This record gives sequence, C-alpha cells and structure tokens, in this order.
Amino acid sequence: MIRKLPPEVVNQIAAGEVVERPSSVVKELVENALDAGARRIRVELRAGGAEAIVVIDDGDGFLPEDLPLAFASHATSKLQGVADLDHIGSLGFRGEALASIGAVARCRILSRRHDAQEGWEVRCEGGVETSPQPCGAPAGTRMEVRDLFFNVPARRRFLKSASAERARIQELIAELSLARLDVDFTLVGDDREILRLPRDESLAQRFARCFGEELAKGLLPVSRAFDGMKVEGLVAEPDLARRDGKLELMFVNGRLARESSSLHAVRQAFREYLMGGRFPIYALQVALPPDQVDVNIHPRKAEVRFVEARMVAGRLHETVRAALLGRLGLPMAAGGVVIAPDMPRARSGFPQLPPSLFGDAVLPPPPPSAAGAEPYVVREPVAAPAPAFARGAAASTPPVVSRLNPFQRVTGRYLQVMDLYLLLEGQDGLMVVDQHALHERVMYEQLRQQHAARAVQSQRLLVPTVVEVTPAELAWFEAAQEALQQEGLHVAPFGPGAIAVHAVPTVLARLDARKLVRSLVVGDETAGMAPVREALADRFHSMACRSAVMSGDRLNDAEIQQLLVDAARLEHPHNCPHGRPTVLTFTGPELERYFRRRC
Amino acid sequence: MKILCDRTALQEAVNVVSSVVPAKTTKPILHNFLVRSSDNGITLFATDLEMAARVELDSVKVSKKGSVLLPARETGALLRELSDPTVTLESTDQRCRIESGGGNFVLLGEDPAQFPDEAKVKGGKRIEIEVGRMLRMIQETAFAAAREETRYAINGVLLDASAGTVRMVATDGRRLAISYATVPTKAECKVVVPLRALNTLARALSEGSKETLSIEVGDKQIVFVTGKAQLVSQLLETRFPDYEGVVPKSADTTVEITRAVLEGALRRSSVLCSSDMRVVRFEIGEQSLRMTADNSSRGRADVTIDAVVKGSGGSINFNPDYILEALRVCQLDTIRLDMSDDSMPAKFTLGEAFTYIVMPISGA
Repeated sequence: MIRKLPPEVVNQIAAGEVVERPSSVVKELVENALDAGARRIRVELRAGGAEAIVVIDDGDGFLPEDLPLAFASHATSKLQGVADLDHIGSLGFRGEALASIGAVARCRILSRRHDAQEGWEVRCEGGVETSPQPCGAPAGTRMEVRDLFFNVPARRRFLKSASAERARIQELIAELSLARLDVDFTLVGDDREILRLPRDESLAQRFARCFGEELAKGLLPVSRAFDGMKVEGLVAEPDLARRDGKLELMFVNGRLARESSSLHAVRQAFREYLMGGRFPIYALQVALPPDQVDVNIHPRKAEVRFVEARMVAGRLHETVRAALLGRLGLPMAAGGVVIAPDMPRARSGFPQLPPSLFGDAVLPPPPPSAAGAEPYVVREPVAAPAPAFARGAAASTPPVVSRLNPFQRVTGRYLQVMDLYLLLEGQDGLMVVDQHALHERVMYEQLRQQHAARAVQSQRLLVPTVVEVTPAELAWFEAAQEALQQEGLHVAPFGPGAIAVHAVPTVLARLDARKLVRSLVVGDETAGMAPVREALADRFHSMACRSAVMSGDRLNDAEIQQLLVDAARLEHPHNCPHGRPTVLTFTGPELERYFRRRC
Repeated sequence: MKILCDRTALQEAVNVVSSVVPAKTTKPILHNFLVRSSDNGITLFATDLEMAARVELDSVKVSKKGSVLLPARETGALLRELSDPTVTLESTDQRCRIESGGGNFVLLGEDPAQFPDEAKVKGGKRIEIEVGRMLRMIQETAFAAAREETRYAINGVLLDASAGTVRMVATDGRRLAISYATVPTKAECKVVVPLRALNTLARALSEGSKETLSIEVGDKQIVFVTGKAQLVSQLLETRFPDYEGVVPKSADTTVEITRAVLEGALRRSSVLCSSDMRVVRFEIGEQSLRMTADNSSRGRADVTIDAVVKGSGGSINFNPDYILEALRVCQLDTIRLDMSDDSMPAKFTLGEAFTYIVMPISGA
C-alpha cells in the first residue's frame, strides 16, 4: 500500500541531502548570515559541533512576521518567483536549509532587527516549531543548533571525531571567507579562539592566515577582465603545490563552487610545472552574469554549470597561464610592471667571465632598476580594479613578491661536480643545478617554439584507422572535430560507436593512430584540442630527454656557459618538463644557520 | 651420442637454427638447440614457440646414436673460433664434449626430453618459387611493414596466392608495398606471415639463386623448405587491409625519373628536414621535379632534377624516408610516379613486379 509520508519524515529525509555533518550546518548558517548582510560573523563550536553550533552575526535579523515560517521547508525570503532563479544573487535560495537543520537538531533563533526595540525568539526541536516569543537580544541573529542528529542515531554514529569535524569547519570558514574580505570572521572551538580573520585585509594576507604563512611568499595576483567575465584572485607558485586538490578554490559570483571543465583548464595551465600527483593552489573569483551560471544543480550547491563552459575554461586557462609566465618577467597581456635588477658582476679575486658573455645573453635587457639589489622583485598590478568580492570595502590587491628566472642573476662562477651537478653562485645564494633536468627544459622549450612557428601538417593514412568509442566519446569527437583538425588530426564519425582517423599530425605520425586517439578521449569533454597539444608536449619531452646532456657527461666551460645562457632565457626554468626541479638554492641565511654563524 | 663432422658444415647449420633462438625468454630451455642423430646423419632443431628451424646434415659420421641439447650462443661462438676442419661431439647425460685440434670443451646442456616438439603441418597447400625471386619479394615488401609491437594487425606481410600469381603486400598504414611473381602452381591462399619469420628466412636465402623454395601453407602455420633446411612459423590471425582498394586507378600526373638521380637529390634535401617533422615538397614543373625542404632552425634545401612529365603537374608533400627506403631496394633505372593531389595516394612503380603506394602529407 502506498502511503504519503508524514512531513517530519519527509524533512528528515530531505535533511540528509543538505545536512550531512556539522560543517554542512555551519556552511548553511554562515551563508545565511552573509545573505543577511552581516559584517561580523562569529561561529562557536562545542565538541566539533556535535554538541552545539552557534552562529552570531550582525546582519539584518528576521522580520518578526517571518519567524513562524523560519523552519518551514521551501520557505525563503530570497526568492519570489521562477524568474528569479535565472539571476540568483544570494548564496542561498532553496529555502531548505533551516527546515533541514530544524528537522534533525534542537535549534533556537534569537533575532532583533536594527531598527526594532525588542528581539524575538523561536525554537524548533526535531521539526516541531514553537511560536515566536518576544525577548531582549542584540541586533542581528544568533542561531543555536544543539544535539545535532539527536533523533537520527544512524547519522550520529557516522560523525568523525570532534577534532576532525572542527578541522573541517575551520577549512570551510577559511574557504568561505576568501570570497568576503569585507566581513570579519571568528571561529571559537570549546571556548578557544581558533581562527580570527579581521575585516578588510588583503586576499593574500587572508589566504596566508587561513592556509599557512609559508604560502605568503609565493602568491601571484591574477586579474583579468574579459567581455562579460572577470577573473581575479591568487595563484600560488607551482613549487608550493599540494598532494591533494583541497586548495583549488574557485568562487563563482562569490559562491565557492566547482565546475569540471574549469577545474581541468586551470590544472592544464599548471600541468608542465607540476610533478605528477601534485595539485595547484589557487583562489580564483570568477564573475559572470547570473544568467550564464546554473547554481541549481546540486543540493549543497558545491557544483555549478556554465552556459559557455568551454569559453570560461579557455579564459581561465589563459589567465592562469599568463600569471605563471608573467612572474618570470615575461611579457604578459595584462597587468604587471616587471623590474629586473642589474646583472651582478663577479667580485674581484675570482675568475671573471668576459663581460659580454652574460651581458648580451639576458633577454630582454634589464630596465632601469628601481628595486636596487633586492633579490626579489616587487610587482604591483597596474590600476588593479577593485575585486568583485569586496562588497563595500575596497580591498586592494597587495604587492606580491614574485621570483624571477634565477639564471638571469648568476654571478658567473660555476663548478661541475659529480659530472651531474653544477654549483653556481646566484644572487640568492648557492645554487645546485641538475644539468640533465635543466638542459632537458632548454631543449623542450626550443622544440616547442620551433613547432609553434611552423604550419600544421598531417600525414594521411592509407586506410582510415577505425577506433571504437562510447557514445559519450563519440559526442566529444564530433564536438572537437574542427579543433582537432586545426592541430592536424582528421577524424570523422564512422557509424554509431566508432570514429575513423584519416590523418594524424606529422610530428606524431610515428605513433599508432589508434593509441593516439584512445589517449585523447580521456581528456575532458570540453577540452577540445588540448589533448592533442598534450600528446605533442609528451613527444617533445621525450625528444628533449634523449638529446639532453646526461648525468655523467663532463661539460667543458664553454658548454656550461652556453647552458646557463640558454637557461637565462627560459620561460619556466624551475622544473624539467615532467616537473622535476632543476635547481636547488641554499640561501646565505640558510648556510649561516647551518654553520652556526647565527641561530 | 658420438659424432664426427665437418666443422664448416656444422657451423653453417648451427647459424641457421640459431636465427630463431630467442635473445630473451622466460623459458631458458629455448636458448638451446637440439641435435638428434640417426644412422646417416644429424638433425638440428631450434624454436622460440612461434617459429622453428630445422636443418639436416649428412656429412657426419655417427658412431653412437642419441640426442643432446646445446646452448646455441656458446656452441655457435665456439665453432667459429675452432680451426680444425673436423670436430667430434660426444655426449653423456646432459654434458657434451667437443674435441678439436687438441682442445677440449665441455658444454652443459639440458634434458632433450623437455624441449618442445616440432609441429606438423596438416593439409597444407604447396607453392613452389625460385629462391632468388622470393628473396626479392621479401626485400621489396618487408621494409614497409609496421614495426611497432602494438600494431599486431599489420606487423606481418600478406602472402596472397591465386591463379598462378603470388603477391606479397606490406603496409604500416602510411605506405604500402606490393611485389608479385608468377608461379606454376594454382594453389590459392591469403595469409599474414610475421615479419620476423620473413627476416629469418631472408637471411637463409641467397641472392639470385635458381634453387626452388617450397612453401607449404597450413591453417595455422607456414613452412618454408629449401634444400636441407626448413623454417616453420605460426601465421598471424588478423585481417589485412584491403590493399587492392588502396591502389589508385588513375592519376592526374605521371612523372618518370632516373632512380639514382632521384635518390641522390632526395637524400640531399632530406638532410634539411627536422627530425620530428620529415616533409619534402615535390613540385612538378615542365619536365622537371623540384624538391624543397625547410627546417626553420637549421636551413632550407631546394633541388631541381630532370623528369619526363605528363599531365597537369602540381605539388605534393612526402615523408622522404618512406621514398628513400623503397628506392634502396629498387633495381630499375627509371622509376615512375603517378600522383594526383595531396589528399590522394601516390603510386611509385619501382620494378616490373614492384608497386609502392605512399600517402602524402597535407597542410591543415
């Protein structure tokens, strides 16, 4: 017999989608506070939130007449009609958060509007709501959620330890806070202050405060405006990369959300700078017209979709790539003044290179130095537009320290040891260079530049190679057909469930066409020609690896000098094409500490 | 077992069977070859389980019958180094003593009973062909076969016999070589022979020889027999591309060129192809052929040679290596190129019974 479930059960089931663990409660409540225009938010936890979660804000507060509906499901003040769904400006809109939380916990709302004399209180236990009572309260809202899952023992058993839940909440608040630099966040756990994020600090400051001060010195500002889209934020130096993707943070119109093709595009931009299994660190704010974004595809709103996913992904790729290239003093399409210090000279008493050797090798010639002998160069974006996520307060992007190509600043003294490593004196200290890795990078970039300079050509196949594909892959090939052809790969659908390869890029002609195609479809569905480029990059890498000097090759002075001259022109000298580091630097202070010259 | 035999004859026989002994194998016993003696001679046999070689030797004096397994590499090397015209092999258990010119060597073999047996081919069709002709056909095709292990499908050469003609066809998907011969037999078959078997066979065949090579094609195996030697190989169970459909039936332009001139000019221009993008452009002029190559970082080549041109002319791009590899085995003085445009296959006539198809390279 089919029966309609009682509303309490319905709410408990629905709650499961929204409220999974204490951090989901915190997320909903903090987002509500932000939607209410709060400038100051304080989150207090007991036992990692399992015993109590209290969120106090100084936002608008509830209208007293709204309070009876606060815990009703699908009740919200943020949305009025279907038309509003197309341009959602608030973080919440589904009207389910409080209903879900109220169904599985003992809740209390204490709220007073700024212009009201008295506050109101309403309680809800396991979905049963009391009627609002007048009472005294500070302006704003205080939400208390106690005994989470008291009536859902199964869920309660799945809660992790208090410290694990608290750590997750700390992470969550840190992530949310990055989108709102104009709001002051405080997290208190069992009466101890865990996180304090003062208002109006810069994104880099807040990022470092949240995720570790050691990140602070490797953050690059990003800011680009496109027609109908804006990207701002930070990307971290590739060598800070993590073993997980936790700090790949993207905010879409102020909402922390993932979108698969954008995620892939940013990873692609980092790809050749990262070792396998490493993930980049970034916080990017993407501003798009609300009608270009669908946020309503995931109950927790963790994922979004873009109408023009491919375009957004392409622009993100371009932006991040420009930032990564830009930090080395290479021309960047937008923003950034690069100041390179003068070439240092070898001190007397040591063999000195002919002045022309490094003098004419460094490209471009260093502009007048404003940074003096500073080893690091300070770069400030030109007229940085106010970040979109600074609602109200204009938080300007801070000057961020960036690293130049270290080979542009070697003094000219070198020594080859163990027939593998080069010891150099750079301005930052002692540099130890892996000759093979560095030469590999040099060869790789030369091959890539040569390839970019010539026309794409395709080796035609005598008999088309037929490759069986799944319907999803077939759709991918149909969509990417033209883009692939521009890179020299001619494919055409071949009946249902197969494609025929008619021609392959000449550079890859030695590969098996079937294997080449199979390796392409693992790419993202919106990636277009990028996989072909990856295959090309792999091919260039193996060519570079074969032609590079090996470990055990003894180099003469002229060869070492040439290698350093070439390295000084590299776009990315820090890693070999597969991400292994090329250079290890021991700074003066590090050496001094080791030899106990200072402690 | 105890035998006395002519050293040179034994050495040659060991060389033939050693050609199938695998360099690397997970079954170490396959590093050996088997010697089996009968009343009037000995038989040498080796296999890598995909193919097998057998040689009979009758210039042998057998004083005690038996069989022994000998390590192929060491035995071959030892026979090469010995200087006496004869050698004596004497085996007890799994040791074999070799005596020659005052030297005494002991080779440690393995149990002959553990060695794989020879496969018997059942119900085979027989084709007979001159040894010299067969060698030419292998030379004219094998170079065009795909080398990569993964391309199992065309990692062999098609042997297509019908109506008194034997055709051998090889392709790697970018070019295709066809060589054929007329034979007296009417046997019909269409099988793919592994490249390795043909290379091994070619090593045992001598150029221009008028002897007869007898080929027996079974369901799963093929046997080549010449004189006292026999090579058995598994066949590849794959579908070979439809080669007849690929051969262009007509062409817009026909070019006749002196082979040696073309080869020299193409070699010179291909020097300036970059290593990762091998492209030479052929431009057909009025009674001339111009070849250009461009390596943006190293230089340019521009060579013009005389040619007899019929048709509309035009230009086409090729990987020069494909053409040079074919010219190397070509014996004609004047070759012919039939071509249309850079999307259509081009046909080279490189011998009376040797046709070569190359797919051009096209711009984006």
